[in-house]
Amino acid sequence: MDLVTMREKLDKKEISAVELTQSYLDKIKEKDKELNSYITVCEDAAIEQAKAAQEMIDSGNAGAFTGLPISVKDNICTNGVKTTCASKMLADFVPIYDATVMEKLNKEKIVMLGKTNMDEFAMGGSSQTSYFGGVKNPYDTSRVTGGSSGGAAASVAAGLCAAALGSDTGGSVRQPASFCGVTGLKPTYGAVSRWGLIAFASSLDQIGVLANSAADTGYMLNGIYGRDFNDATSSAKSKGDYTRLAGTDISKLKIGIPKEFFDGVTDEVKTAVLKAADYYKALGCELVECSLPSLEYAVSAYYLISSAEAASNLSRFDGIKYGYRSGLGEDFNDLIKASRREGFGDEVKRRIMLGNYALCSGYYDAYYKNATRIRTQIRKEYADIFEKCNVILTPTAPTTAYKIGEQEHDPVKMYLADICTVTVNIAGLPAISTTCGYGENGMPIGMSLTGRAFDEQTIIAVCDRFERDFDRKEARI
Amino acid sequence: MFNTELTRHLAELSKLEFTDAELDKMTNDMTNIIAVMDKVCGFDTSKKPYALDAVDYKDLRRDEHGESYPTEKILENADIKRGATFVVPKVV
Repeated sequence: MDLVTMREKLDKKEISAVELTQSYLDKIKEKDKELNSYITVCEDAAIEQAKAAQEMIDSGNAGAFTGLPISVKDNICTNGVKTTCASKMLADFVPIYDATVMEKLNKEKIVMLGKTNMDEFAMGGSSQTSYFGGVKNPYDTSRVTGGSSGGAAASVAAGLCAAALGSDTGGSVRQPASFCGVTGLKPTYGAVSRWGLIAFASSLDQIGVLANSAADTGYMLNGIYGRDFNDATSSAKSKGDYTRLAGTDISKLKIGIPKEFFDGVTDEVKTAVLKAADYYKALGCELVECSLPSLEYAVSAYYLISSAEAASNLSRFDGIKYGYRSGLGEDFNDLIKASRREGFGDEVKRRIMLGNYALCSGYYDAYYKNATRIRTQIRKEYADIFEKCNVILTPTAPTTAYKIGEQEHDPVKMYLADICTVTVNIAGLPAISTTCGYGENGMPIGMSLTGRAFDEQTIIAVCDRFERDFDRKEARI
Repeated sequence: MFNTELTRHLAELSKLEFTDAELDKMTNDMTNIIAVMDKVCGFDTSKKPYALDAVDYKDLRRDEHGESYPTEKILENADIKRGATFVVPKVV
């Protein structure tokens, strides 16, 4: 059921907010033992929120989000509810405030079903590095969900929430959306406040939405976008009304196809995405061959910048003020080292080490400084493409979801798999991923539509048009 | 070239510690990772940076005194606390 229909049913009292919430909680109980998409399920609190939502509906004051049951990624702070970042370091951390996105949605009495599983500190593309165990793909539980918002994607795909909030630093909303056969929207950098999102790489992080359709992602974005004085990087440029163009004529649009994105992907991914391009061509859209020559540098530049920022951001976790504290350290320095050694997982440690390497005297110019130059160049190349095109069509990931244990223990393989998504974060642009086909193994194939900064409306409309004619298969679970 | 000495140095900067076996594995992982990162060293730096910033910092809020969270709330997540403070190991 889409969010607009759900809203209508709630407003017409065809279903109560409590019944709706209870039905999702029952599904979570039934299915999530197998998937592990939630770290925390807020059973009692969700029912209380649903009761409060129903009162609002009954009094005729319901807003767009009153009573809608959603899941929230476990790196978004929720007042009084554990926010673990899927790490031992924050396993018992209970925020004393809400992230701005939650504050906005709570004002309308949205229902939070629980906090979803993820890669530890959002560092990963498989959702297997969680301290609370890996997440399984609802299409095939022997396969990964992608990541880092793998729990969010699985919770949507399996029908364990109406929509989900995730976060995207290098593809962490779009890639799991691709692997799990749902729609994932990464808004423009600055479109949504990051206040209360536990920082990984501050110049790249962005809260996004995973849902059953492009229209639903736009619906959710309407509730969370906007300038926030607690986040100096948030912008007042956002237009709002993100579903305004859905269903309108898109036949005059020009769609860029950057050739480099199709080089390293599997044949079935390439075929499915180019078939989607043909669909748009048949509608009347003009396909424009274009180029992003610096793509070859993108993964390295992304990992250097994001890890440098992560090394700094994660230095706050010292076992002193909050978070995991080791019992081993006898002096101040030993305590910090022992707490970080025991509190962080292997991938987080690798990123911290890489970040400090890139920032080290003697390496800074060659690595970090060059990475920032590449960032500037990639932005320029995107700007050049958008002189000629309205949106850009690419694959979301080089492959479909792979088997658990197949590659997530090889950091280099994992990093290189981010090739299709990282440039969007580097350039601060909005992008949306949706399913455009299925592989021989039955797993979903994702395509991404990237737009101009703050033009989420257009990519949502273009994505929505495709989804109206595409026959999406249900997840097995 | 990445070696255990450099890994040890970075671990110190990172406030991390490793056993000898972990140190070897981290050195091996970092060697492979840096081989990929080396790609940026081949970027033609003569290309002039393009002045395009995704973030507009002009609209900064005023630096004004505001209400803070109560100390007891902030201390809720501290492992060991005494009165209005969190406890740290003796340093002197």
